[in-house]
Amino acid sequence: MFGIRLARRERRIPGGQTLAIALGLVIALILGALLLAFTGHSPVEVYAEMFDSALGSRRGWSATLTRAVPLGLAGLAVAVAGSMGMWNIGAEGQIIAGAIGAAWVARLGPDLPGFALIPLMLIGSVIGGGFLALGPAWARSRLGVNEIITTLMLNEVAIRIVRFLVNGPWKDPEGNNFPVAPELPDQAALPILFERAHIGIIIAAVVVIGFGIWSARSKWGYELRIAGSSAQAAEYVGISLRTKVFTVLLLSGAIAGLAGGIELTGNSARIVEGVANGFGFAGIIVAALALMRPSGVAAVAVAFGAVQIGGEAIQTTGVPPSISNVLQALILFGALTAAVFTEYRFVRPSRSNASVEVATA
Amino acid sequence: MTNISAPLAVELDGIWKRFPGVIANAGATLRVKAGSVHAVLGENGAGKTTLMNVLAGVYQPDEGRVVLDGVEQRFARPADAIAAGVGMVHQEFRLIPTFTVSENVVLGSAPRVVTKSAIESSVGELAEKFGLDTEPSREVWQLSMGERQRVEILKALWRDARVLILDEPTAVLTPAEAEELGRITASMAADGRSIIFISHKLDEVTAFCDEATVLRGGATVAESLPVESLTAAGLAELMVGEATEVSQRRVRINPVSETLALEVTGLKVSDIHGRSVVDDVHISVAEGEIVGIAGVAGNGQRPLADAIAGLESAQAGTISVANTDISALAPSARSQAGLAYVPEDRIGVGLAPRMNVVENAMMRSYRSLSSGPFIDRQAAQSHAEELVDSYNVKVGQMHAPMAALSGGNLQRLLVGRELAAEPSVLLAAQPTRGLDVQGVAAIQRILLDQAENGVGILLISEDLEELFALSDLLLVMHEGAVVGEFDPDVATRAEVGAAMAGATHEAAN
Repeated sequence: MFGIRLARRERRIPGGQTLAIALGLVIALILGALLLAFTGHSPVEVYAEMFDSALGSRRGWSATLTRAVPLGLAGLAVAVAGSMGMWNIGAEGQIIAGAIGAAWVARLGPDLPGFALIPLMLIGSVIGGGFLALGPAWARSRLGVNEIITTLMLNEVAIRIVRFLVNGPWKDPEGNNFPVAPELPDQAALPILFERAHIGIIIAAVVVIGFGIWSARSKWGYELRIAGSSAQAAEYVGISLRTKVFTVLLLSGAIAGLAGGIELTGNSARIVEGVANGFGFAGIIVAALALMRPSGVAAVAVAFGAVQIGGEAIQTTGVPPSISNVLQALILFGALTAAVFTEYRFVRPSRSNASVEVATA
Repeated sequence: MTNISAPLAVELDGIWKRFPGVIANAGATLRVKAGSVHAVLGENGAGKTTLMNVLAGVYQPDEGRVVLDGVEQRFARPADAIAAGVGMVHQEFRLIPTFTVSENVVLGSAPRVVTKSAIESSVGELAEKFGLDTEPSREVWQLSMGERQRVEILKALWRDARVLILDEPTAVLTPAEAEELGRITASMAADGRSIIFISHKLDEVTAFCDEATVLRGGATVAESLPVESLTAAGLAELMVGEATEVSQRRVRINPVSETLALEVTGLKVSDIHGRSVVDDVHISVAEGEIVGIAGVAGNGQRPLADAIAGLESAQAGTISVANTDISALAPSARSQAGLAYVPEDRIGVGLAPRMNVVENAMMRSYRSLSSGPFIDRQAAQSHAEELVDSYNVKVGQMHAPMAALSGGNLQRLLVGRELAAEPSVLLAAQPTRGLDVQGVAAIQRILLDQAENGVGILLISEDLEELFALSDLLLVMHEGAVVGEFDPDVATRAEVGAAMAGATHEAAN
């Protein structure tokens, strides 16, 4: 009567997540190889190029780690909300708001020395991202308004605002009429670690890993997981759901905002329309691959960064961008599908499942 | 008993349905005449719902015959039963809130080319024919529960159901709506259709139905009785059976203490529709006393428990634990004031299903198991191990998710956790429901031990035998009010059963 269906595993397979993702990658690479061969490229050469340019050199590592910063922070933002069963789809807009917040600080104090300006800009970005999440957080916690809709729509608002700024009040008079803001002062750039890698990597690593530990070990994280597991159980033990929902969504926005601030001070040096570059949406995939656990985000972000950097690099060797994008999508799709099986398994239709419900009804 | 001349619309003959560990139907029989309203009565777990699911094609019987209008049927799926003219209105409505009445009615069986107005007018005609008061163009989310139920009935009639099963249809209705439903079933019966009316309530059965069949323990104990012959006492006896030997009737050693552990006065709770679900309830539980609350499911037991625990807000009344008024406190503060609560929903309220044993064991105590903002994992682990040891919880792995444990083990952990704080009052809602024999015995043993230690226990249960065995005092709830107070040493099951069915009575003591 029923087909084969998925059931949640009673226990996770130890190390299963890594294994499944590796397996998913292998399958995706085989499919990708077929695609490359079919379009007249040598899969071996393309894959070697992808690997080399992302992980095969200091330069590659610097690009990959730099890319992992916004991906990891956006992924953490989504995972924090996700561990309580909420979806922040607005990280993209919150990144923009964070970048605007940081740039605003730089406009207010352009002559501050770097050691003061950079921290203030990052604080500005946290406030900016949090500010954009304030409305959804309030509406969800007080009125029960679905945060998916509100955060998603605020992306559009943030894009319109940044477009207005770079075409209007913040437009660079020396920008040859391009819609860009003026470059930030030189001392606002994040110090470089090696090659192109800036210290944003360390900031992001501390935030992402530190938050992973915090949420796994603290009372706060424990309450979060109870609330995510069952809202009624949370009320039963006296956890205020409203407060939790509000702070978690606000925090989620603030973390995404920090991604915008680091991206601005570390990479782009000026506000442009595409300052968020899709990192907010990619963060949803990062969080999903990390199974919504903040502790899993860092590793996923680095792997995702490598795929993106490798995928972009092969475009310079004559692989068309469309093939490169399909290849990236295949890899992520394979990993994502595989990740599902660390928490779920196939079950054959069986009568006994139906009977349990009856027996207790 | 049955009028031989009237044709039978439905014959369920010797239906057996077994599930692992449970026999839901043991040779149940049901014969419904065409053009009649037929009541099916029985306690929870008597097999009514399983039998109806067999008739509606949801389950296939292990043995037995399903016959409609003299033709034997084999339903592989609900769609087969619908095609054969069997419609079922479930307790939880299956409607799409954002669709209109007529859209819900025709969903899945609309003619290929339709206009909205054509459908609305034909749904309207159908509704009028049977006296179903609805507006076909309104959206379902705007409707009251009674109106939604009429939409469900219309859905079945639209598919030309000759046999309509109503599963406890009045549970969600106001008295006026219930009367309206009675008129509707009568008009459908007059049209030659057969209605199977599942109920617990004697007054409705006598008012709306022609005949009644009573199930107990999965089998039919009385078939097609004319409703005029029914009495409250006779029906209660049929439903609950003769008192079997009570296995472990409580031996009361000490006279009940003078000191009150729990006192509830004038408690009133309304649901979100403003209907009164707990109506002016007064309960006193002395230290070491077990007060049992009997009642058919849905008569206010759950909101009563939730209101005492602070999960539901009360409109009026006071709640005191050990002479401290806790009415205004949050759930966690009530727990700290000495109230332990074993909720009806173990998984989902009492326990978080996806968290592990250690995490669930510390749900009440994690605040004290912490140093600063961090939880002391060593202390949490040993706290969990202590609970697991002293309440004999069988866990494979302390870090396995809760869902991997069996029902009895879940409940032992939950009860143990609630008792760890040495409460003055234990509020236990359906604590043994769904457990196997050993699980039931273990939980009952814990309750008795706690009472001996002076804990006042309020025990809400649907298992009369359990209530008779454990309680010092037995209260009966019906439609939100306490309608009877019995001494379990003196009262008979028939008396208590009659009060549960809503019959007026004189208290036995």
